[in-house]
Amino acid sequence: MANATGTNILEFHNVTKRFSGVVALSDVSLNIRRGEIHGLCGENGAGKSTLMKILSGVYPWGTYEGSVLYEGRELKLEHSSIRQAANEGIAIVYQELTIVPSMTVGENIYLGKEPVERGVINWDKLYADTKQLLEQYKLDIVPQSIVGNLGIGKMQMTEIAKAISRNAQVLILDEPTSALTEAEVEKLMEILEILKSHGVTCIYITHKLEELFRITDTISVLRDGKVITSKPTKELNREMLVSYMVGREMKERFPEGQHTPGKVILEVEGLHARNPHTNREILKGVSFQLREGEILGIAGLMGSGRTELVATIFGEYGKVTSGVVRLNGQVIEVKNSRQAMAYGIGLVPEDRKTHGLVLIQSILKNISLANLGQFSSLFAIDTDAELKRSLEYAKSLAIKAPNLNVPVDSLSGGNQQKVVISKWLMSQPKVLILDDPTRGIDVGAKFEIYKLIRELAARGMAIIMISSELEEVLGMSDRIMIMHAGRSAGVLDAAEATQEKIMALATGTVVPTEQAILNQ
Amino acid sequence: MSSVSPSTSPSTAATGPVGAIAKMLRANLQTYALIFATLVIWLYFSYLTNGSFLSPQNFSNLFRQMVITGFLSVGMVLVIVTGNIDLSVGKLAGFVSVVVAAVQSNFLTSTFPDQPILIAALSVFTGVAIGFLYGVIQGYIIAYLRVTAFIVTLGSMWLLNGLILLVTEGRTIPANQSTFAQIAQGYLPNEVGWIIAIITVVLLFYGMFNSRQRKRRYNFELSPMSLDIAKTVLFSVLVLIYVYVVNQYKGIQAPVLLLAMVALVVSYVSTNTRFGRYAYAIGGNRQAAQFSGVNIRRNIFTIFVLMGTLCGVSGVTLASYVGYGTISAGQGYELDAIAACILGGTSTLGGVGTVFGAMVGSLIMVSLTNGLQMANTPAAFQYVLKGIVLVIAVYADIRIKRSSN
Repeated sequence: MANATGTNILEFHNVTKRFSGVVALSDVSLNIRRGEIHGLCGENGAGKSTLMKILSGVYPWGTYEGSVLYEGRELKLEHSSIRQAANEGIAIVYQELTIVPSMTVGENIYLGKEPVERGVINWDKLYADTKQLLEQYKLDIVPQSIVGNLGIGKMQMTEIAKAISRNAQVLILDEPTSALTEAEVEKLMEILEILKSHGVTCIYITHKLEELFRITDTISVLRDGKVITSKPTKELNREMLVSYMVGREMKERFPEGQHTPGKVILEVEGLHARNPHTNREILKGVSFQLREGEILGIAGLMGSGRTELVATIFGEYGKVTSGVVRLNGQVIEVKNSRQAMAYGIGLVPEDRKTHGLVLIQSILKNISLANLGQFSSLFAIDTDAELKRSLEYAKSLAIKAPNLNVPVDSLSGGNQQKVVISKWLMSQPKVLILDDPTRGIDVGAKFEIYKLIRELAARGMAIIMISSELEEVLGMSDRIMIMHAGRSAGVLDAAEATQEKIMALATGTVVPTEQAILNQ
Repeated sequence: MSSVSPSTSPSTAATGPVGAIAKMLRANLQTYALIFATLVIWLYFSYLTNGSFLSPQNFSNLFRQMVITGFLSVGMVLVIVTGNIDLSVGKLAGFVSVVVAAVQSNFLTSTFPDQPILIAALSVFTGVAIGFLYGVIQGYIIAYLRVTAFIVTLGSMWLLNGLILLVTEGRTIPANQSTFAQIAQGYLPNEVGWIIAIITVVLLFYGMFNSRQRKRRYNFELSPMSLDIAKTVLFSVLVLIYVYVVNQYKGIQAPVLLLAMVALVVSYVSTNTRFGRYAYAIGGNRQAAQFSGVNIRRNIFTIFVLMGTLCGVSGVTLASYVGYGTISAGQGYELDAIAACILGGTSTLGGVGTVFGAMVGSLIMVSLTNGLQMANTPAAFQYVLKGIVLVIAVYADIRIKRSSN
């Protein structure tokens, strides 16, 4: 196998896939070379997922036109035959984790192929094998630990270990880093290098361009179901890639905006809070001020308490043990989301699928869910007014759907996020908190959401925006609060902030200066 | 994909009325499949029984027989939609029926000997009040003390069984006061039946035109006039046929009218009030509902209170229907109610289900029981067949959903 390096392990020949008249893939021809890391990018709906679903048998052989050659043979997968694909040596790590949280790392990795002796599982062998596998990829995970107790990063690593434990020749990673911290991304990059040195071919789907340039050998861009380009990474640069993806020159990644912050609306002082379940102290002293018409960015690594902070302000997380929250100078105690809404605070939660949306329900019902009071007379809902108002928001946010009765789980990530944002805009908040609003969203939709946030701020709404991407936090915020280990480690003005300064505060490598504290 | 167009239904301009009908059928495939299944079952039994299954008398009885579990299904839909279950409804209805019987024969009849209407009214009030109170207690434990509904209502089932034994002391208690008996055994005069039918038809047409007018005011796209009229005419004809057939026997059955009204009200509440919408949101994604400011505990509490109250109504009807309270009252009704909901398309995962579906499900269950009895099927096979039908129906439902995706 090693001597065949340089030939193609996978070849797509003129693959076309249609869904009831809509063309998802149009005459796609693409070669994946043996042993390379092949980056795949494109806006949501560009056809990346469809392409990968052909490789996993979700769309079996015969439901698409054209052919897929694997090791020179035509790949003929049956319906939903992930196992068949796995036996062929094709493994997929999905964006949504497919591990069982209540089982151990070892059990998860060997789920479905446990070492069995006379009908009984040989647990010692299972855990020994797991340990060896984890060590091989320098993963610092105990095989016996329960996956649910691990952080999201280690869960992701477990998922990858599970995939490669099946002797994968081709490993497909779909947005693997959307939930990872910088350090965990670093770790993932190392693993990919190790895999590459073992001759494993990787297809790496991501929205994060830095990662593409860092790790890949070849990058292919899909747009509207077509391959726009497929070139060695070193012949491409960032601007080229973005313009290939969106089909237009995108000069600025963040929109310009007018900033005229007004009076202080929200003030948090020395906030301490505990996790209601474990009673562990999560927030250990957070202070900041937020003005009307201002965008306050919050940066911080996973586990720094940033999500817990905003959920606490919204009344849906912690037990506040000390500290105060003031709204327009009045001390407020928010015990649940109903009270938060009554005070004019809205929260677009971090995980839109678990906290933001009722996926089986229509766009209409999701938008109006938090705002039914606006359309309710004494008893009944005025469904016409509900539809009319929801349409206004759906239109102004340019949600792409045939009509508002479409269930939200059929929408792309960007459109789903717009539905959540519509819901909160309809409640007309004075303070809008957005927790990582562009997570897992394509470049075009990101830009639209940025523009919207700017407009809202220009109209005087006070905005808190958490972001995992440093560039985003730098590009969007008027001021940036950096959190570290449950504390506010510092507040920087957008003008003075740099990626390095933020990282240094977020990782606790510098003690906040007097000045930084005074700035709060 | 285009941006959102201002319509609730897909555009029909290009395809015309035929396309519109096809689309409507596709969108409500499950509902039409259910109605179709009911008709097939009726025709089959009618064939087996040489037509006596669909005789006015049996047709009338069929609908009366569905009333008692029908009330339970109406509440059960909402319970299941929120992701809960209530195993106590059969025994609660049974308990209500024996208490009503006991109060009536031991207290009311002797205290108010010459006031039949008062006796009947107090019997009804007692029964509904007991159901309501039991719902309050059970709802409080489930919603606020957060004990799983499955466990609480399983416990309730045993508890209520014990209470039934205590009240009856193993005997059968009469509840045959004549005015009270009218609740489940009464019929409306034919003229009144026709008046109700005409009012219903008028309301159907008024509702259709009113809805079109409001849509026009908001500039929403309208479905073709002919389609709306066809739908309304179809429903009107069904109502008229129903009244015509039952008038051939004794007239509109009082309990059926009561169930229809309760089902309509709860159906409206479930789709057009915050309370109803929140129930579906909680079942669809509890956390998202929580983060949207929905008061989950209050909603679930209210649903169990409603369920209890409907058990009260069901229990009163049961006592009136059979004319006595007995130890086996309500035995197994909870499973009939759950099965009716499931047959009617309610998802056990929560978030999906309609009162209308549960009513059709109820009708299917009752048609099976009634038809098999009329065809002299041995009791053992009646159970076997009902079990098989339930599983096949759910499988068919899964297939329909898969194919329409």
